[in-house]
Amino acid sequence: MSLNALLEDTGSADNGYGSGIMDEHTKRDIRRALLSAVAVPGYQVPFGSREMPVARGWGSGGLQITLAIVGDADVVKVIDQGDDAGVNATNLRRLIVGSTGAAETTVTAEASIIQTRHRIPEEPLKSDQILVLQVPVPEPLRGVERDMRELRRMHAEDDYARLWVSLYEDKVRNGVITRTTGYPCMIGGRYVMATTPIPRWDCPKLHQAHHLSLFGAGREKRIYAVPPYTDVEPVTFDDVPFEVERSPGRCDRCGAVGWTESFLIEVPNSRTWVCSDTDYCARRRLKDRRVKA
Amino acid sequence: MPVGLLQIRGLSKVFVLHNIAERRVVALDGVDIDVPEGEHVALAGDSGAGKSTLLRCVYRTCVPTSGSIRFGGIELTSLSDSQMADLREVHIGYVSQFLRAEPRRGVVDVVARSGMRGGLDPEAASEAAGDALRRVGITEPLWDTYPSLLSGGEKQRVGLAAAIVRAPKLLLLDEPVASLDPANRESVLDLIASLRERGVTVLSVFHDTGAIARLADRVVLLRSGRIVEQGPAEHILPLLAAVPA
Amino acid sequence: MRETETWALSVQGLTKSYGGRLAVDDVSFNVAPGEALGIVGESGSGKTSVLRCLAGDLDEDSGRAYMSGLDGGQTNIFSLTPAERRALRVSRLAMVYQDPALGLDLGISAGGNVAERLTAAGWRSFGAIRQRAAHLLERTEVPRERMDDLVSTFSGGMRQRVQLAKALATNPPVLLLDEPTTGLDASVAAGVLDLIRDLLAEFRLAAVVVSHDFSVIELLTRRVMVMHNGRVVETGLTDQLLADPQDAYSQRLVAAARS
Repeated sequence: MSLNALLEDTGSADNGYGSGIMDEHTKRDIRRALLSAVAVPGYQVPFGSREMPVARGWGSGGLQITLAIVGDADVVKVIDQGDDAGVNATNLRRLIVGSTGAAETTVTAEASIIQTRHRIPEEPLKSDQILVLQVPVPEPLRGVERDMRELRRMHAEDDYARLWVSLYEDKVRNGVITRTTGYPCMIGGRYVMATTPIPRWDCPKLHQAHHLSLFGAGREKRIYAVPPYTDVEPVTFDDVPFEVERSPGRCDRCGAVGWTESFLIEVPNSRTWVCSDTDYCARRRLKDRRVKA
Repeated sequence: MPVGLLQIRGLSKVFVLHNIAERRVVALDGVDIDVPEGEHVALAGDSGAGKSTLLRCVYRTCVPTSGSIRFGGIELTSLSDSQMADLREVHIGYVSQFLRAEPRRGVVDVVARSGMRGGLDPEAASEAAGDALRRVGITEPLWDTYPSLLSGGEKQRVGLAAAIVRAPKLLLLDEPVASLDPANRESVLDLIASLRERGVTVLSVFHDTGAIARLADRVVLLRSGRIVEQGPAEHILPLLAAVPA
Repeated sequence: MRETETWALSVQGLTKSYGGRLAVDDVSFNVAPGEALGIVGESGSGKTSVLRCLAGDLDEDSGRAYMSGLDGGQTNIFSLTPAERRALRVSRLAMVYQDPALGLDLGISAGGNVAERLTAAGWRSFGAIRQRAAHLLERTEVPRERMDDLVSTFSGGMRQRVQLAKALATNPPVLLLDEPTTGLDASVAAGVLDLIRDLLAEFRLAAVVVSHDFSVIELLTRRVMVMHNGRVVETGLTDQLLADPQDAYSQRLVAAARS
């Protein structure tokens, strides 16, 4: 479903969005929260998180968003750590496709909705694609403040001094800013947002992206969004450049360079690296074979 | 006739001890005094006569009960505390037998700070502090010593140095040589005498008549908070000897 | 003579009640740049509440407070929004608390505590923040090698020094000090008082010093107010108030302190 369709009234039950495991009222509630989230980029919108047939913490937030926006014409891809074949990814994909009229795919370019945990596909997404992220910890200031009222105040007043202090402490203690996944980013120059659970490698993909990103935290009952063409700036000191993780090798399967091309993961006990994004890796190998043929 | 730098009229001070049955102690009772600019007026009288209280009323460590204190045309009793504090720092010096110095501060620093409060910049203040200390006979080896470690006489001289580091218009001296040995006493008296050349007007209380005879242009004799006699030292001092101690 | 009617902080008719009791009853005062005003009184006299209202830790019931550095002294700081009050705390009005846990985050380093004030003021260069924090901590006599230690490992006196460094981070014109040395060992307290006195002069701060301890007030301030049951019962020059207190309550208080 496109962003335009999302913004249209989608209230009636026979509008082609299927029924499945989520009733139309719930979908509408979630879509309202999504519209608020898109309207105020990076702001955490509370929503009435429902029980899902997956445990909270296993992607129930992302699943609710996907179910609220998916239609018969959609093609759904689900990845876990960049891998379409992960157990959790497979289960969620079957659940979504089985309870709606949507089709499934593992090909990034073919998908209209990509639900993900931990990664953004390496291949740049287009303006008619929606990325749905399953978020474990939506609060970027969780590490510096626990009181909910104080957290709300800090966001409301644009008071991120203590986040800066946590980066200062990190740098003093470790020589570098060690925070990896969920790096805090300033969205549209106003709200600091947690990019959990993606690695730093993926943060630049959110900046001025063509696609819409929707973040859902089921357990914490929060939804937030990065609309297309929004500034996403990692929070860092003027004189401490933001740097992404770079794997020191090449993909053992497709040869992608970890330093520049692809986010690699180490194969346990093998000293070899492979692409985290399995579709990207497969496509590269396919291309290679075509070139050789 | 020189202009009266300090003009005191009808000055009374009654201490009211609220917690001791509202007891009232009359310390000053309608005192009129003129101190002409550049002159040295000494207050004399037995202890309890009100001499120190009078100095303290001028400096406002005591609050006068009634009366007028004009200093260079300014009515001191109608100044706010802030204004009085500013005026003190620049124009009025006060030296008592007890040095009220900041602890943990070398003596040269104590004196220099007094100069800075009086408006000198730090460099000029520290230079003036050195000069003032030498003039009261505190030599360089003592400059970094804490005042609390000094002898009574040394403390007193540091207090005087702090008061004169930047020549005030009016200097109030309350027994400034009480703790000094004879040699230092002489040099401090010399110093006080020399202030006349710097145009400093002095209102003083001395215990010993020798100092009064040497320094004062005029002596005011107090008894029980009232003026009983005033005039040149040679007229008043003989009366003083007749006052029972 | 210095212009005497200038003030950096002017408070008028400050009133605050809680628990059905008037804690602060119509309190007014001015403080000039470079001047320290003391507030003495027993516990419960309302002296700390005055500071807390000014700092924004307590909401006043009525009254006005102005700072000459804010809109030329035209804006009542009590009329500002919470965010504006917070900004004021960052840039213009610092407070040092008796309990360091109120002024500091004990779970981060000394440098980090100073950094918090700086980042709140918009500093974004790590190098500049670090340099400024090091400079301030050196000025408040925190050993350089302790800059990166957690404040929770610091002694009471050292914590107050870190509070002072943080308070001065943005060169505020007004500093509020609430019993800054109460609870410290006498020799430690003397060192901290020395430092405070130097800083007040060096930064030409307008300071309000609250203490139940006359020796602190005597050392730091030139003017003083005595508070009793929320009201100001007497004001005067500090040496005058100690030598010749006028009010019955002040006389009792001074006599008790002198005995």
